[in-house]
Amino acid sequence: MKKALAFLSLLVIFAALLLATHPDYGIKFGLSGKDWLKYRYTDQYYIEHGIEEVGGTNIVTDIVFDYRGYDTLGEATVLFTAIAGAIALLRPWRRDENE
Amino acid sequence: MNDMGLIVRTLARATIPLIGIFGAYIVSHGHLTPGGGFQGGATIAGAGILFLIAFGLEEAKKRINKNLYSALEGIGGLVFLGAAMLGLSVAFFYNLLWHKGPILNGHPGSLLSAGYLPIMNLAVGLKVFTGLVSALMAIALYRRWQK
Repeated sequence: MKKALAFLSLLVIFAALLLATHPDYGIKFGLSGKDWLKYRYTDQYYIEHGIEEVGGTNIVTDIVFDYRGYDTLGEATVLFTAIAGAIALLRPWRRDENE
Repeated sequence: MNDMGLIVRTLARATIPLIGIFGAYIVSHGHLTPGGGFQGGATIAGAGILFLIAFGLEEAKKRINKNLYSALEGIGGLVFLGAAMLGLSVAFFYNLLWHKGPILNGHPGSLLSAGYLPIMNLAVGLKVFTGLVSALMAIALYRRWQK
């Protein structure tokens, strides 16, 4: 019963997301022309000013390390925490050492 | 003991330096071409994992120092933070080296350009490489299923 309800709610969420990604009601794909400047003005700014403001010709690296450096800092912290947690959990247990 | 055969080991001897050099290229050219610290670090970690698989756990245990790798991961993170704090007089993550730096303010597209971006790429690459290799070593050393 619980599983059927969970599956039903999954279906409802899936239908809602399908509706949200329909071009007539929700977000559009393959933007160009006027839509590009209307919905992607931030990307346009990065493409136009990235090289002169940051210096790298790789715009993705410009954004990731300079414009949005805090995000990369958090990402590195996530990686650090994940590896610290994995190594801490995978150490030999006290029971194993006594054998 | 638990290493691969002769052909795999010989091929690993030939390919591990190539993978390492390619990963170093991805890391060092992160501000010019696609890729960067995370991608290049994962590529070099692939060389480390190939070493671990081809030559076995015993050989890898002898060559990979846990304390050194843990320290290098921390140092990578600290270098990243230090590069971010270079322009702290203006703002955090202010690219001081690009605007009035000594070396790293060359013409966009050359290797010595883009301010702190190459430093950060190197730091993140070091961090990802050492982190992934030590995580894989921890998983490989976890052999409690044998009892």
